[in-house]
Amino acid sequence: MELSVNGQGYTLDVEDDMPLLWVLRDELKIKGPKYGCGIAQCGACTVHVDGMAVRSCSIRVKSVKGAQITTIEGLGSPKALHAVQAAWIEKQVAQCGYCQAGHIMAASAFLDMNPDPTDADIDQALSANLCRCGTYPRIRAAVHLAASKLREG
Amino acid sequence: MKPVFMTRKILVNRIDFLMRVMVLCLLVFFMPSRAEGAPQDSSQNITKIAQAPSLDALPSDDITRNALTEWDKLYSVFSHPRCASCHVGDDNRPRWMGTDYGLDPGEAQFHGMNVNGGMSRIGAETLPCMTCHQEENSDILNGPPGAHVWALAPVEMEWFDKSSAYICAQIKDPARNGGRSLEAVSDHINNDDLVHWGWSPGPGRTPAPFGRKETVDIFNAWIAQGAPCPDGS
Repeated sequence: MELSVNGQGYTLDVEDDMPLLWVLRDELKIKGPKYGCGIAQCGACTVHVDGMAVRSCSIRVKSVKGAQITTIEGLGSPKALHAVQAAWIEKQVAQCGYCQAGHIMAASAFLDMNPDPTDADIDQALSANLCRCGTYPRIRAAVHLAASKLREG
Repeated sequence: MKPVFMTRKILVNRIDFLMRVMVLCLLVFFMPSRAEGAPQDSSQNITKIAQAPSLDALPSDDITRNALTEWDKLYSVFSHPRCASCHVGDDNRPRWMGTDYGLDPGEAQFHGMNVNGGMSRIGAETLPCMTCHQEENSDILNGPPGAHVWALAPVEMEWFDKSSAYICAQIKDPARNGGRSLEAVSDHINNDDLVHWGWSPGPGRTPAPFGRKETVDIFNAWIAQGAPCPDGS
């Protein structure tokens, strides 16, 4: 099976029904997406599939053939962080950090659709991403900061 | 000339006979599953239809009563949690309903995670439905259900918490059914993947009653008998 992840092509010998998260973590050793619940209820495994946030624990790899898959590792680079990644650092969002890759991937896809969100928009978009440390106020502040940076270009 | 005339007469008689047998079969096929709720004189209705000289001779109130029995079955499908939970109104918020979600029968709550389909009805404004709902059901208990397309029904097709009379009127109204004739609605039930999901909802969810083919047959029988709606609003 051919797969494109973070701009790189891979040839894999995996079952069609394997969840994408398993392929990323166990086959490709891309560890940014995290296993949380396994049933699309926590958001820790979120990646982009052709730019849309998707729970990689619940999408079968056969469904993403030919798609461009992006994980937190491919969103930005250490020398050129994505605006959401930079805002996460500036606002010191993370506490334990387990959910942060999923949150950042969800937030970046959300800002592509809604570049000037309200608090309510952010709450609605990210309510399906859970943070057991309860950093939600800082998450909201970071999303607002990233949105303003992106609007400034 | 005589053989031709006789052939036509036989043909006409056979058509009339077959029509009555078809109606009888439809009634016999569909009535038993509703035996408890069927009108008390349902067997008399069948006898009347079997003995009637033609369909036109049947009393219209008998046909209407039988058609409304068919509609009751359709309402049990359309109001079922697998269908009504995403046929919601302009709050754009899908529901979780019934015992499959640890609630009492008929009880509902909003879909978890603050989910809102938005005006787009696919969550495009905030969180797309297909972030979690993929092309197939998860095979894990409590995993997300899926179909080729996952979306709320158009807002004008609101079914959640609506009466039988309301849904019946909506189904028949082209302004609120996607501009469809009743035959097109039947085709929609027969061929739309997301509609079919209601009968194959994945582990832990009770399917809508009857199944696709039987529901289409019931719908067509209801149309054939004039597609009456119950009284009320």
